[in-house]
Amino acid sequence: MLSCRSLRKSYVSERGEVLAVDGIDLDVEAGRYAAIIGRSGSGKSSLMAMVGGLSRPSDGSVVIDGTDIWGLSDDKLAAFRNRRLGFVFQFASLLPTLRLVDNVALPALLGKRGDADIYGKAATLLARMGLGDHLDAYPSECSAGEQRRAAIARALINDPVLLLADEPTSDLDEQTEIEIMDELLAVNRELGTTLVLVTHNLALAEQAGQIVHIAGGTIAS
Amino acid sequence: MRWLLLSLALQNLGRRKARSLLLIAAVALGSGVVFTGAVLMQSIDRSMAVGFTRLGADMMVVPEGSLTNITASLLVVEPGELVLDADVLAKARLTSLGRIAAQKIVRVEHSGIGSHHESADLIGFEPERDFTVQPWLVEKINRPLQAGDVILGAVRDGVLGSQLLIFGKPHVVYGRLGRTGVGTHERGVFMSFATLDALGEAIGGHGAKPAVLAPGKVSGFLAELSPGATPLQARFAILSNVKGVKVVAGDTTLSGIRQGLAALLDGILALMVLMFASMALMVSVLFSAIVTERRAELGLLKAIGARRGQVLGVMVTEAVLATGIGGIVGVVLGVLVMRLFERSLVYYLENVGVPFLWVDLPRMVAFAAGAIVLASVIGVLGVLYPAWAASRRDAYDLVRSGA
Ligand SMILES: Nc1ncnc2c1ncn2[C@@H]1O[C@H](COP(=O)(O)OP(=O)(O)OP(=O)(O)O)[C@@H](O)[C@H]1O
Ligand SMILES: [Mg+2]
Repeated sequence: MLSCRSLRKSYVSERGEVLAVDGIDLDVEAGRYAAIIGRSGSGKSSLMAMVGGLSRPSDGSVVIDGTDIWGLSDDKLAAFRNRRLGFVFQFASLLPTLRLVDNVALPALLGKRGDADIYGKAATLLARMGLGDHLDAYPSECSAGEQRRAAIARALINDPVLLLADEPTSDLDEQTEIEIMDELLAVNRELGTTLVLVTHNLALAEQAGQIVHIAGGTIAS
Repeated sequence: MRWLLLSLALQNLGRRKARSLLLIAAVALGSGVVFTGAVLMQSIDRSMAVGFTRLGADMMVVPEGSLTNITASLLVVEPGELVLDADVLAKARLTSLGRIAAQKIVRVEHSGIGSHHESADLIGFEPERDFTVQPWLVEKINRPLQAGDVILGAVRDGVLGSQLLIFGKPHVVYGRLGRTGVGTHERGVFMSFATLDALGEAIGGHGAKPAVLAPGKVSGFLAELSPGATPLQARFAILSNVKGVKVVAGDTTLSGIRQGLAALLDGILALMVLMFASMALMVSVLFSAIVTERRAELGLLKAIGARRGQVLGVMVTEAVLATGIGGIVGVVLGVLVMRLFERSLVYYLENVGVPFLWVDLPRMVAFAAGAIVLASVIGVLGVLYPAWAASRRDAYDLVRSGA
């Protein structure tokens, strides 16, 4: 399902070169729930961005469902991200000028799949995330937890084969964190969507079928 | 999807109302100046062209000692007893002269034209060579001028095609001239040499037949300079080759005004070019700032699967909307300003002898469309580079650097 080989990512800044990811090999089977843990600055987000097709690796390959995603052209990769991947960011990531329902529908609208009832599906997903009465709300009118749940709904609108969530509950209270995690795990269990989750919460990580511990840009155990 | 991009762009504009309004105002100012400038330039240009082709001659050649009437816009030969040979100029073969039109002028009384005691000028011209009478025709019968036809000066009444008796002889009113502000011209009754000659007996019946009606004689000539020749050269050439004539040149103040207007138009053109350039620069500076501000959102669009073209599309739509609206506002303002100053502008120009004519409506519409398109193009050009550069970057980079 997911297979990364000798992934490497270095950033060039004014203070010199930073090696954020230093040769990671990672395999996740289809339908699995894999948890990525590690200290702040260990390179978890950098790894997720490369896996999610958002940040070009300095070296190495990412193969998802048989497709070497970094070998695709720019537009093909965009289409791949759109159809096959769902990404939940570590921070608020909704477009502020669109209502929640538009935000959720946007990836489907971008994909130009005019056949389905896109807005109906967006509303269903929002309802599932407990936001059924917030369809017409703007992100600025929602709490951080509500925004994060809408971002999860958006990640699911195109029925991705792989859902990547980078600390989706980082700045939320415990109760909200549990609710959101329950939703993600339900998606993994009921829809069979492969889930890769970055978390600081060891209790959550322990429910995973596979735990990947990252330290200093490499896999520690 | 189209609509979503459009509403995204609209809402982005609405998010920073003050900034959007300032941008629109700046573009409106620029495209308003360009539009108004273009319309005025074309109008003045057109007015001058009409004015000067109507104008007729650059100079006049008359018998030494005759009376002449020079006005700002027209040269006319006053009727008199002195005459010249019809071929006197042609024989001299002067290279500094272009077209030459001869006129025979006879002042008559009791001719049946106008009230009983009124005198009237009968002016003969050669229709094939004339360039000072026929261009003034404002209405005419739809056929070529023929023997027995007369053309009435602006102040004379007469229905087109109706009969006019001159010394009892029937003539047909062929056309009427526009106002020139020159008495002789406005009160004149114009006809071909042949028509005037046919009246010779009737005119002569009351006394001696006027000298000018003898064959081969004329009252004077109206002449154009050949291209490149100066009035001074022409005057010298005429006076040294032809005896017994006087040369009268047109009023120089008018050519001064014409040159002044041309300089003004050049100034407007330069201003328009500068305006365009500074507008383009300002828009591109502003939009590179806007793109930087929007990096996170653009990265997000990429992350959820927007292609580079779509990311560009969002920014270009926003820019075209803002500058296009600015262009429309500018055109509307331009029209209002021109309405407001129409009276004083037209009055001023007509005062200096240029009858003012606006460009026709289709042209005005074309200029308006041009100004709006120009404004939108500036928007596209201004946003294209920053948006293109941003769309190339990794989505994660954009999201992070904007967050
Ligand atoms: N754009 C960048 N430019 C320069 N250095 C970067 C950039 N992005 C990340 N880094 C560096 O790379 C290293 C890994 O960053 P990354 O965001 O992947 O860590 P992380 O494990 O996700 O941390 P956290 O748990 O705090 O989110 C850090 O040292 C960080 O400073
Ligand atoms: Mg991180």
